[in-house]
Amino acid sequence: MAEPPFLAVENVSKAFGPTRALDSVSLAVEKGTVFGLAGENGAGKSTLIKVLCGVHAPDSGRVTLDGRPHHPRDPEEAERAGIAVFHQEIPVCPDLSIAANVFLGPAMPRRGIAPDWKRMNARCVELYRTLLGEDIDPERLVKGCTAAEKQLALLVRVLSRSARLVILDEPTTALTPPEVARLFGIIQHLKEQGITFLFVSHMLEELVQLSDAIAVLRDGRNVGMLRKGEFEVQRLSELIAGRTLSQTARRSALRQGTPKVEVRGLGLPGEFRDVSFKVQQGEILGIAGLQGSGRSAVVRALFGAPPAATGEILVDGRPTAIRKPADAMAAGIGYVPEDRNALGIFHEMDVKLNVCMAGIDRFSRRGFLDARNLRGIAGHMCDDLSIKMQGVDAPIRSLSGGNQQKVLISRWLALKPSLLLMSEPTRGVDVGAKEEIVGLILGLSAEGYTFVISSSELEELILVSNRILVMNRGRVSRELEAGEATKDKLILAATT
Amino acid sequence: MDKGARAKLTAIQRIFGLRDFGVLVAAVLIAAFFSVITPVFLTPYNIFNILRQTAELGIIAMAMTVLIVAGEFDLSVGGIYAVTGVVTGLLATRLGLDIWVAAAAGMAAGLLLGFLNGLLIATTRINSFIATLSTMMVFRGIAMVLSQGQPISFKLDFFMDLFGRAELGGMLPVPVLWFAAWGVFAYVLLHRTTFGVKVFATGDNREAADLAGIKTMRVKQVAFLLTSLASGLAALISLSFLKTVTPTQGTGLELEAIAAAVIGGTAMSGGVGSIVGTFFGTFIMAEVRTGLVLLGTDAYVQEAFVGLVIALAVIVNVRLSTRRK
Repeated sequence: MAEPPFLAVENVSKAFGPTRALDSVSLAVEKGTVFGLAGENGAGKSTLIKVLCGVHAPDSGRVTLDGRPHHPRDPEEAERAGIAVFHQEIPVCPDLSIAANVFLGPAMPRRGIAPDWKRMNARCVELYRTLLGEDIDPERLVKGCTAAEKQLALLVRVLSRSARLVILDEPTTALTPPEVARLFGIIQHLKEQGITFLFVSHMLEELVQLSDAIAVLRDGRNVGMLRKGEFEVQRLSELIAGRTLSQTARRSALRQGTPKVEVRGLGLPGEFRDVSFKVQQGEILGIAGLQGSGRSAVVRALFGAPPAATGEILVDGRPTAIRKPADAMAAGIGYVPEDRNALGIFHEMDVKLNVCMAGIDRFSRRGFLDARNLRGIAGHMCDDLSIKMQGVDAPIRSLSGGNQQKVLISRWLALKPSLLLMSEPTRGVDVGAKEEIVGLILGLSAEGYTFVISSSELEELILVSNRILVMNRGRVSRELEAGEATKDKLILAATT
Repeated sequence: MDKGARAKLTAIQRIFGLRDFGVLVAAVLIAAFFSVITPVFLTPYNIFNILRQTAELGIIAMAMTVLIVAGEFDLSVGGIYAVTGVVTGLLATRLGLDIWVAAAAGMAAGLLLGFLNGLLIATTRINSFIATLSTMMVFRGIAMVLSQGQPISFKLDFFMDLFGRAELGGMLPVPVLWFAAWGVFAYVLLHRTTFGVKVFATGDNREAADLAGIKTMRVKQVAFLLTSLASGLAALISLSFLKTVTPTQGTGLELEAIAAAVIGGTAMSGGVGSIVGTFFGTFIMAEVRTGLVLLGTDAYVQEAFVGLVIALAVIVNVRLSTRRK
């Protein structure tokens, strides 16, 4: 090539301990184009972004920006080099005006020690006109703005600081379809002015629509580059998924008859609607979908936290009102939440109380603690689940993430539930613990425990589930039997 | 930390728990310091005197500990303390009711106020610091209006003996017995019952507690009832000892109770605390005050010293707890 690309990434590698987050990744991004980056969670997209914007230094490899080497030591240096990142969460000051948010920082126009509001507002209007081709009221407070308007304010903010490469990290998750169209229009407009974009998204259709080229990362490697004209959603989802795992032949015939749990027309405004399914005793039902597709909310609704607004839940064929966790527990339902630290663990307590908490009344005598009984139950559960610890009196914080997760599972197993709900059962645990937890779930289902599992780890879902529901924008978009579920089918159903 | 040190640590922990042990050591050190300087400090008479003086505060501080562990505060305890006293006094003197009936009515009034605190927080979900700051003023106002700002005096022998004046064996003042009995009650409640576990769970991780089927709002409401019950009991002890009630009594009691709990290792963020720790926390505050009096220090300097003790205790606690993590 005669002209060097605007951004060139050559053989960049980055390892965290034994995990190779990036494995000789190379990319070339032309000036004034939108470059799409696709891949599953953990494929290396975030690491690549962090290398570009100075959060991580690569272990090896070269990055050049506009012909000059680009190895920022910190995010500030990357910003000075003209790189701006757009995160999923939008950091703004809600009680300040749009103009103030655009100019906030050392370069804010001022008169003496006071901000020069007049000049700031005028420049803000001008920036919006030249950059976005739109008119705005610069004095509006940001807290009154929609998510899309906040994003635009941030876009103007970074562009006003002469950003040349804008990294869009899942920019559309909080937007409505017309807002997405508007954002894409603005990106096209900015492209023509020579701004380059790196566009990261889970939504394959959006990637195809907006990008001039797409690279797919998988397990830290660049596994494929597609140029405009070669795009195909099907091909992309195959590339993202990689080889499909061979199925494990463990499934025994499920008992037919009255389902353990049946859900009819469940709905919760803003989260999900028209969700219906049946789960047989001993079955593992997986729910797949992107973040925000409603899959976690469905699982929580079965536990009454918060309950669904419409629809019916039948447990063992009987209509059961589940308004709060206690109702679900009375119906024999347990719930292992997705965020272990925020929603599960009692950080100041020891292992035995963490195990026994959900059944604390049941394991005690007339309201008085029976330490011996609690120790016995906790010890028994921890043996069953082979939880590694110094003893049941050890503080929960002394356990590894995987073992803490097993403690949360044992909290419900101690109650012998007939249905166990799980959200992201292996989030934040290492590979070995992941395998153990998967094995545990399979073993328990063989004993007759019933599961509904919501997870973003597709391989794991395929491995354990008898059936997988795929949710997309609050609805069930597909239902797949164990034999027919493959990663690319799931990705396709979740993203289109 | 090597193995030997860890084993030693768990041995100590088995006795008291690391935090409580630290406060005990501090209480002993302060006692040793004052007894070297003033020989009268470490006499049974003086120790019992300290305990008697601090019994009311200690009773409230222990209940406050339960509430703080559950993740809430009650700034209105001083107001409830005043209302209980004033209601009891008015019913016994102006209406001439039997003192037992009057005292029961006073306690009931206090409990009602505690119930209102709990209800306010449960229904509006406003921060308890703000909610009880406002009820503190309201309750104080009620005490002022009822009494018209005037103190009320009594002459009731047996009742006064039972709650405030009598000394067992000519030595052990009854308020100390009430303090001890309440301490045992609070200890068992917080550390030996399922309710206590739910209190810790609620303050440790509210959402996780909700998801474990614990009715965290009810736990908090019960804890508010408990602080009002403690305030009522303390008010009866005060009334019996002083033979008088004033509508301004107990001003600043709420902050002293919180301070005692904090010196005793209770975390303001909830989920951590102990009744034994709060007992020593209360004791340390009283020790410092009495010791300074015996030294003949200016009364104004004493407050400043107590403030320094609080700061010191919190610094030590933070150090201990961060090292533990």
